[in-house]
Amino acid sequence: MARKLRAGEDKMTIHVYAKLKDYFEPEFELEETIGNTDQLQEALVRINGGASELLSTCRFAVREGFIDNTFKLEEHDIVVIIPPSSGG
Amino acid sequence: MISSSSSRPAVEVSPLSAESIDMIGLLSGAHHPGAGAVVLFSGEVRDNNKGRSVLGLEYEAYAPLAIRMIEEILAEARSKWSLKIAIAQHRTGKVTVGDTAVVVITASAHRSEAYAANRYIIDRIKHEAPIWKCEYYADGTKEWSENCNHQ
Repeated sequence: MARKLRAGEDKMTIHVYAKLKDYFEPEFELEETIGNTDQLQEALVRINGGASELLSTCRFAVREGFIDNTFKLEEHDIVVIIPPSSGG
Repeated sequence: MISSSSSRPAVEVSPLSAESIDMIGLLSGAHHPGAGAVVLFSGEVRDNNKGRSVLGLEYEAYAPLAIRMIEEILAEARSKWSLKIAIAQHRTGKVTVGDTAVVVITASAHRSEAYAANRYIIDRIKHEAPIWKCEYYADGTKEWSENCNHQ
């Protein structure tokens, strides 16, 4: 489940950008254990199924670097979810 | 002054700017004694998109990664085309119709390299850098663009 951010707690924090903010708070925490990006995507779809298609096109980043599903997520990680670029 | 051996502008240019882009200022810093060609691309906000009247755009970026990626793209282009100068700056925040959203400047010995590198840089920034635009329409609605349209 998602909940509002509270300082000082050791939970996975999620940051979302652009159109994902139509579905989620810009920053929130996840209480459940998440081990990889596939699990994270599934957890986010459970929170808001309307974001499913968009989430399937997103990239994920931790510590300012892109990660894939082989990256082992830790409870305290800050995960940034990056929709397809639309700059320019 | 820029030394003839330098491949960087006289002043470091931040890849992201929350303020209006000083296009003329950037161009004036992009001259180089070894460059016979300087190409400037300015991506500007137009007043319509897909038949809808557009009032302006708002750009959002995941800044740490966007800055690093743009710097890497510029470095790669400098190396690939032996550029004397390669500069890119992209706006964040609200940008009105007619204003500049992104500028890319390339300078090289001859024009073919400057043109090719400039196209390469803007294409990669649009496709890859974590930057997004939200369009504000005349009918009071707004919408996030979900994909680069490659134009």
